[in-house]
Amino acid sequence: MGSEIAVTGPRVLFRIGPIIITNTVVTSWVIMAVIAAVCMYLTKNLKVKPDSKRQIIAEKLVLTVYGLIDGTMGQKWRHFAPYIAALFAYSFCSSMSSLVGVKPPTGDLSIIIGMATITFIMIQVVNLKYKGVAGSLKRFAEPVPLILPLNIISEIATPVSMTFRHFGNIAAGGVITTLLYAALAALSGLVLKIVPVAFIQSIPIFQVGLPALLSIYFDVFTSFLQAYIFCMLTMVYVSGAAE
Amino acid sequence: MPNNTFELVSFVPWTLIFTWCNLFILFLIMKKLLFKPVMKILEQRQNEIDTMYDTASTASEKAKELEKEYSLKLASANEQAGDIMKNAQAQARKRENEILEEARGKAAAMTEKAHAEIEQEKKKVYEEIKGEIADISVSIASKMVEREINAKDHEALISQFIENVGEDK
Repeated sequence: MGSEIAVTGPRVLFRIGPIIITNTVVTSWVIMAVIAAVCMYLTKNLKVKPDSKRQIIAEKLVLTVYGLIDGTMGQKWRHFAPYIAALFAYSFCSSMSSLVGVKPPTGDLSIIIGMATITFIMIQVVNLKYKGVAGSLKRFAEPVPLILPLNIISEIATPVSMTFRHFGNIAAGGVITTLLYAALAALSGLVLKIVPVAFIQSIPIFQVGLPALLSIYFDVFTSFLQAYIFCMLTMVYVSGAAE
Repeated sequence: MPNNTFELVSFVPWTLIFTWCNLFILFLIMKKLLFKPVMKILEQRQNEIDTMYDTASTASEKAKELEKEYSLKLASANEQAGDIMKNAQAQARKRENEILEEARGKAAAMTEKAHAEIEQEKKKVYEEIKGEIADISVSIASKMVEREINAKDHEALISQFIENVGEDK
């Protein structure tokens, strides 16, 4: 019972001089390779008259992203589609990677900050592009100059809230799963103490089954939902900056 | 080892930089490997469909033109056939009349010929009867007189008599 439950962040895998490479970054690279491979597989042998399921899937994926862009941002933002698709695929696959037992990159605050800062930079760039320097500065003093500080806070709160929402959901899922496993192991140990055989006592009977059910919520459902929310917010904020 | 593991809520600047690069690379991957090829094929399909529609509309226009042309041709052919029929009928009627006329002429000629033959036959029979009657008269008279009267004289007398009778008749 005295075992310590460790809930930790990313682990350093190796260093190149001052460069720190954590396990989440390496997982990210693996995920990117998988996504690239899937893309290549899906777009292999494309035909005008599709005769393979994978071409239909590829077309469906592309058209779904375009449909999402058209619905939330408008047709003129279609060049954004690959980034939104990349963001969604990265976020979703990262969160799902916890299913294979690695630490999900989206459970690493630094990575989520990276994703949110890109959205933040995009918002500022679009503001500058559509309103000019003066216009994009003026929007902080609208509708009345009095709420200038509030406007600045809300501008910064955008990426912060996006970061905390995404990170919080995935990290909390990880924490709860870790706690649950520890609790179930303790419970198994407690129940099996009746049997005076050390080997049987070490079988974690309660760890079979129940975590899988919770995993459906914490890994699959939350992964999809958080990826979707993050993409949606990015689309809404970026296209909103142009108005 | 504690140095190698970060807290749950921790910030590693290198990871942030890696994430920016990663997302940019992933954006390029998505663009080059998924969106570009798929959009290219969709565009090709759209072009092909447009061409097909164009071809189809041209073909249907052509078909309509041909239909018009053929219906005109058919109408003129019908007219021609009518003319031909009419001509044939007129000719047939003409020929019929000719044949009838010819037949009637032939029949008339035959009747006439038959009449003439009958007349001739009648005359011949008449002549024969006349001769026989004369012979009979002579033989009757010779039997009655039984002598001197010359048969030749008698014959002439009787034939004169019969001729007169025949003329009276």
